[in-house]
Amino acid sequence: MTAFRYCRFFFALCLLPAGLGLQQLSGAADGRTVIRYWDKWTGFEADAMRAVVDDFNASQDRIFVEFNSVSQIDRRLMLATAGGVPPDVAGIWAINLPVYSENNALTPLDKLARNAGINPDDYIPVFWKMCQYRDHLWALPATPSCNALIYNKKMFREAGLDPDKPPRSIAELEAFNEKLTRRSASGRLETIGHVPEEPGWWNGLWGYWFGGSMVEGDSRITATSPENVAAYRWVQSYPERFGADRLLALRDGFGNFASPQNPFFTGRVAMILQGSWIYNFIANYAPADFEWGVAPFPSNDPDHLRDVTIVECDLLVIPVGAKHPQEAFEFMRYVNTRGPMEKLCLGQRKFSPLQECSPTFFEAHPNPFIRTFLELAKSPNARPAPAVTTWGEYNADMKNAVTRIWTGAATAEEALADVQKRQQKNLDRRHERWHRSEPVLTKSWSEQ
Amino acid sequence: MTGQERHNLRVGLLFISPWIVGFLVLCAYPLVSSVYFSLCDYSVLSPAVFIGAQNYRDLAADEVFWTALYNTFFFAALAIPLGLLVSLSLAVLLNFEARGRGFFRTVFFLPSLVPMVCLAVLWQWMLNGELGLVNSTINPVLDVFNHALGTHWQAPNWLAEARYAKWGIIFTVLWGVGNAVVIFLAGLQDVPRHLYESADIDGASFWQKTLHITLPVISPVIYFNMIMGLIGSFQVFAVPYVMTGGGDGPGRSLLFLATYLYQNAFDYWNMGYACAIGVILFAIILLLTLFATKLSERHVYYAGK
Amino acid sequence: MARTNLFARILIYSALILAAIAFLAPFAWMVSTSLKPLNETMSLPPRWIPNEIHWENYPDAIREMRYFWRYAGNSLLLCLLSVVGTVASSALAAYGFSRIEWKGRDTVFVILLATMMIPFPVVMVPIYGLFKSLGWIGTFKPLWVPTFFAGAFNVFLLRQFFLGLPKDISEAARIDGCSEIGIFFRVILPLCKPALLVVALFQFLHTWNDFLGPLIYLTEQKDFTLALGLQSFQSQQGGTAWHHLMAASTLVVLPVIALFFFTQKSFIEGIATSGGKN
Repeated sequence: MTAFRYCRFFFALCLLPAGLGLQQLSGAADGRTVIRYWDKWTGFEADAMRAVVDDFNASQDRIFVEFNSVSQIDRRLMLATAGGVPPDVAGIWAINLPVYSENNALTPLDKLARNAGINPDDYIPVFWKMCQYRDHLWALPATPSCNALIYNKKMFREAGLDPDKPPRSIAELEAFNEKLTRRSASGRLETIGHVPEEPGWWNGLWGYWFGGSMVEGDSRITATSPENVAAYRWVQSYPERFGADRLLALRDGFGNFASPQNPFFTGRVAMILQGSWIYNFIANYAPADFEWGVAPFPSNDPDHLRDVTIVECDLLVIPVGAKHPQEAFEFMRYVNTRGPMEKLCLGQRKFSPLQECSPTFFEAHPNPFIRTFLELAKSPNARPAPAVTTWGEYNADMKNAVTRIWTGAATAEEALADVQKRQQKNLDRRHERWHRSEPVLTKSWSEQ
Repeated sequence: MTGQERHNLRVGLLFISPWIVGFLVLCAYPLVSSVYFSLCDYSVLSPAVFIGAQNYRDLAADEVFWTALYNTFFFAALAIPLGLLVSLSLAVLLNFEARGRGFFRTVFFLPSLVPMVCLAVLWQWMLNGELGLVNSTINPVLDVFNHALGTHWQAPNWLAEARYAKWGIIFTVLWGVGNAVVIFLAGLQDVPRHLYESADIDGASFWQKTLHITLPVISPVIYFNMIMGLIGSFQVFAVPYVMTGGGDGPGRSLLFLATYLYQNAFDYWNMGYACAIGVILFAIILLLTLFATKLSERHVYYAGK
Repeated sequence: MARTNLFARILIYSALILAAIAFLAPFAWMVSTSLKPLNETMSLPPRWIPNEIHWENYPDAIREMRYFWRYAGNSLLLCLLSVVGTVASSALAAYGFSRIEWKGRDTVFVILLATMMIPFPVVMVPIYGLFKSLGWIGTFKPLWVPTFFAGAFNVFLLRQFFLGLPKDISEAARIDGCSEIGIFFRVILPLCKPALLVVALFQFLHTWNDFLGPLIYLTEQKDFTLALGLQSFQSQQGGTAWHHLMAASTLVVLPVIALFFFTQKSFIEGIATSGGKN
């Protein structure tokens, strides 16, 4: 029975913090409308957004924005919206926009934007386009990014390559690759010039550098287009040329991306495909004397296909069921004015999605290559991931296809054919759903 | 029915009424609507639309579903017997009247208290290819072999390689078998002593006694632990979910039925499809339990029956 | 098996000690990592004893989780509510299933046992829809209200205890004119404190450890439970700050282990009962 007494004591203890926890549940506000804002940011990126939110709150006597950084935001937002308790504003990735809007989870912003006098011409076209889906406006941009070839200049010099002449075509990339790759006496790979799997964040979209697309129109999957097949044959050539086991052994020794053991920082991989944020990782984790360069990632046909890049954008949206859409939009609009936007992008070490940019922005920007990224984003070959509702599953399938190609479980053609079959069917199903819900949804969207 | 019987029925039902409400609202209704939704296209924020057996037809053709099914069976087929074997062996060891039995029992039991999320985070670190404790223990041993035999064995990068990832999860759950150890030990202590004593007189060896006395007598406990393992293994979710950061592991090697169900419901907005997976998951568990029960009727020995 | 020879004894002890090391090593490794500086977690070969003990990893991890104390408070509150709910409702139902003879009781009990086979993921979507229509998503209600409706496992466990009590004590009370509810409260419950304790402990553990429930029902970061908070911390860290992750894990495990040491005997007996005598 002593155990029972212990327990009573224990549960009495429970009451204490539990009681405290309850009290804290009701947050304080000074009569202003509280806007709940969720975003994915952590660390310095969250600090940058928080600074903008604080500015906005200081400038306001009607609205108070409560910023919360939320992990796995795409899932949390879905659960909250489906459960009828969404935040007023949320920051999602552009790739989530189609699936959210088509499933009736977002508020169309057309009228709000018109009334607020938002001018589409103020934005870099590709980012404005990413805010739209099915002829409606669903979001305003927050911070954009794009990717490029990042290379280690020191390794270039050591291999007898000109550090100011990065490769311009895939063929050149592979020629450089041979020169930059070092093997031990026993044939073990010690360093490598380039390997698509490192870090392999866009494994589903290599076709872009071969002139390929993942979808045609909004209903045809084109995973097996000749361009995509060429791209993934190129991926397949890696295990064939270097040996799947040798590559696996090499990758085993690679450390975490966000660590000093990142193989790009330790000089084990000379060229990677990465986004503009790589600057922050280099500043934090790379050796002090690390020398790096940025160039468009080479395409297979540089004469006709130049400056290819994948653009991404963080978007601010108003979920369906938000309590204060008007006030939420006011905050979004504030973020999209030049001053706050530049403050945000500078804080997050990104470029601005707006066409016009104050000269001081670049002077103050710590990333020496930020203009290179900005120019790339303005290129006609700057493209986002396909805007279809199934991209999440499609991309997962593509990544799986790369794993299969990589381990020799399938050839590029076989793996892509499997993706094509499954994803075409998947997209067809979504179209059936869309055709059922279209009349009701489009009507309610146009009225809002 | 006599008045007394009617009275008893009324009072009895009154007492179990909390359970009846819970059963109807949280069990029967969701189960029935799960079956109904599995015949619908349903995306939460729009009303469900009846589409017949389409979801099941799609499942049959969905190779990712088959992968999840295969992974789940693979995991269960290894985790259940290994779990039984490890927990039974530990219980048998404890059952020798060794000194410090209480201490050892506590040691074996403690890991089963660890929350799934902690378990996953901790073992993710244990199984880290480079820095993890598991490989730092295995590699020196392999080096000795490599040195002696001229081989090039190397411990795998557990969670990063499709071939080994499921083994990583199996190690993780095996660490938490303490519950079963305690149950087995209680079962072993209930084996009547006189059975062993008469076997000793006949000069039976340890293995003979185990095979002919211990195992038959504790077979109901084995059955119980097996059913618990079965229900648990087929809905494995938290550990792979946390270890893969909500994904499905290298080459989908850590995609289980519960994971795929969750993904379809809350990542892909396919609640109907998710329900169809759920119905199949339930059917599997139901059939296997019935099968195990049938088997137990033949092999499980109940004292006093 | 009273007499075993020396050789067998050595064998048994070495097996036990080896197994104990294998079972304790992960705990030791967790604590050891939680006290190392970051660079030492990355050094090879790994060391068991850190060069310097970095206690500040604990406050650092708590700070980085941001709402650690909120999470702890939420977890405790939920545990408390669900323990109360479970003990109250399961005891009632178990009484109805054991101490009163009524027609069809055993059939209904088989249905109860069968419900143990239904995995939560199977009914997850409709239950989510149900709580949604009640407006409960984003609140604690989906996590504790259901415990007031007697879970099958706990009813089963308590029923075992109740059946073990002699019939005469109820009869005697009945003859004294005690009502059924009076017998339940004044006669049976006081005799079953150890069993109720076991159910309370199991429920506490279950709620403390639960992951999928909080994952789908809780929406605001500051309403998370410790288990969910730890997962969210882990996914934000992206698997780099192992020293902080291990410190946080230690903090989440510690209360459960402490509770176990206070209540060891009931705990072990409860588990043994759950599996054995049916």
